[in-house]
Amino acid sequence: METAWTYLAAALAVAVPAVATAWAQSRIGAAGSATMAEKPELSATIIILVAIPETMVILGFVVAVMILIGQGG
Amino acid sequence: MILPMSKVRVLGARELLPDVLPILQDFGQMHLTPPREAAGVHRVRPDQAQERWARQLGRIRQSVRAALDALGGPAASVSRGVPTGADRETLASWVRLARRVRREARALRERKVGLEEERAFLARYWKFFGPFQDLAEAAARWPGAAAYHVVLPRGGERPLARLKAGLREMLGEEFEIWSREIETGETGVLMLVPGTASERLEKLFTAERVEEIDLPGASGGLSAAQAIPRIVERYDAILGEVRALEASLADLARRHEETLARAHGTLTDELARLEAVERTAATNNAFVLEGWLPTSQVPALRSDLEKALGETTVVEEVSREEWVGEDVPVVLRNPRLFRPFEMLVGILPLPRYGSIDPTPFLAIFFPMFFGLVLGDVGYGLVLAGIALVLRHRSAKASTLRAVAEIAGACAAFTVIFGFVYGELFGDAGARLLGMRALVFNREEALLPFLGLAIAIGAVHIILGLVLNLISKLRQGRRAAIGPGVMLLMVALVVLAILAAVGVLPGAFFTPTVLLVFVLFPVLVVVEGILGPTELVSAIGHILSYARVMAVGTASVMMAVAANRMIGAMGSLLVGSLFALLFHLVNFALGVFSPTVHALRLHFVEFFGTFYSPGGTRYEPFGHWAPPSGSKPMPQSKGPT
Repeated sequence: METAWTYLAAALAVAVPAVATAWAQSRIGAAGSATMAEKPELSATIIILVAIPETMVILGFVVAVMILIGQGG
Repeated sequence: MILPMSKVRVLGARELLPDVLPILQDFGQMHLTPPREAAGVHRVRPDQAQERWARQLGRIRQSVRAALDALGGPAASVSRGVPTGADRETLASWVRLARRVRREARALRERKVGLEEERAFLARYWKFFGPFQDLAEAAARWPGAAAYHVVLPRGGERPLARLKAGLREMLGEEFEIWSREIETGETGVLMLVPGTASERLEKLFTAERVEEIDLPGASGGLSAAQAIPRIVERYDAILGEVRALEASLADLARRHEETLARAHGTLTDELARLEAVERTAATNNAFVLEGWLPTSQVPALRSDLEKALGETTVVEEVSREEWVGEDVPVVLRNPRLFRPFEMLVGILPLPRYGSIDPTPFLAIFFPMFFGLVLGDVGYGLVLAGIALVLRHRSAKASTLRAVAEIAGACAAFTVIFGFVYGELFGDAGARLLGMRALVFNREEALLPFLGLAIAIGAVHIILGLVLNLISKLRQGRRAAIGPGVMLLMVALVVLAILAAVGVLPGAFFTPTVLLVFVLFPVLVVVEGILGPTELVSAIGHILSYARVMAVGTASVMMAVAANRMIGAMGSLLVGSLFALLFHLVNFALGVFSPTVHALRLHFVEFFGTFYSPGGTRYEPFGHWAPPSGSKPMPQSKGPT
């Protein structure tokens, strides 16, 4: 049972930030697309901006790895 | 590095100004600044005749530019040197030439667009009529029959069944009907009916809401069987006509582009000289021009003016105390190997003068991070091949050349890390060639890879904090206290973590943590309430480098999954094709993803510690030159 909880915790550690990242990226992406339509020279900056919220899911991934390694899984 | 700049003042007798400006323009290194007015010194303002002349030149340049654009833009091959001082007769000839070229080019382009539209129109018909070509004989066997071509909407057999039922009710068995699915997913239908049934049939089409397709105008009155070969013939003929038009356009460019580009250069130079006059301050007898140039170029400017005008002008360097706080234009100058990466730095606003140019650091760490993530000998070699092709096809000093060279550096690091991880198209190297990891296997050693990524992050962020400290030290010791404390605290936190996880002896842990607690109030006093926030942010930035491991692991797992497809599909051929497709997708992702993440790690995490944007662009007063990314001469373009 404890193992199941550990796996669930690891899955949630990735899943919840992944949803948050997706939500943030959808907002930035929509605004970025509108900006690119008016100022195509900002494309590179917008790609970077879209990548910024990924920190959340990366940190979630690190936490998940820590949980699994702590469990020995 | 950011080149050291000097502010210089050029002084001379007022009547010498028209002689000095062309010399400065030939020199091409001085970034002129707006004149400063003082008692007895005023800005030189053009009189009405000069303003009229400038407006006239501007209009002619616009006309010449439009002609060049109509030809496809100025060619990069046009020489830089341009004659100066065009007389009115020459100007008039340029205007006439520009008008004629624009008219001819526009007519050729419009004709080409018309032909391309006609070809696309025929292609659309071909999609419909092509499948019925083999029915030509059937139509020919029934003289006096009328042919109808209709398109039925998507929806399977039902609309067709309804149409057939309607025909049967109207004509009994006196009709022929053939149907095929066309590329759009709709159903194309050809019907042959007695010529007398036309009126009733059209009523049926209206009732059933089916769309009748007429043959193209040129084929009017012909049956489909007769029209189809003509459509094909015309379709092929158009391609030849388009190529002939392209050749005419290329010929027009070959004959006139050089002259027009020279005219554009001469006019731009003349206008730049008129603008330079407005940047001059003068007394009743003397003129003063101020501007910036790289310090190493000051003797060359003195020498050029002395050679041309003797000792009638003076070039004096303005002392640093006089210009401190002014916006100094920024010139980045890096070794050849690092220069392509200036393009990446150019994505952000220029660094402020006196701060640190991040290009050399970006040139080392960007391809390294890329390689750390992608890390595969096979993918690296493919990327190297693409980089070589791009380099071969790009013009010198163009953006594409810079991209090719950056891709080359990334490919080199990808191959190196491929050997480190023992990867060649995922685990294919290990399975087929017995390739072994030199350091660790990413598939299994998740924790060491995570540790490596975070350790690299710590080194990178601490390097950024060191650069920030150096930058602040240039402003004075007082300004450097805060960044110094921050650097020390981040280093201590990293040491404490290393001691905690057993990389350093455990004895380090307690003293480093105690030191962090001792320094904490100092940080708050020196940096204010934002100090602790920045400390936490710096630690967060270090953890953000875990993405190197996360994205890298995803990449290798995708490659391994691709290789597994070969055995999992039942058929070796189908499995191999799927594996190839999956590798292609992984390669595309594997190029895009590390690029975005490596850039992000630099722009957000690394540059955030020391980068000081806000530099002024260096725009020296010089001769016009076609932009380095200019389009090639039109004749080199292939048919579209």
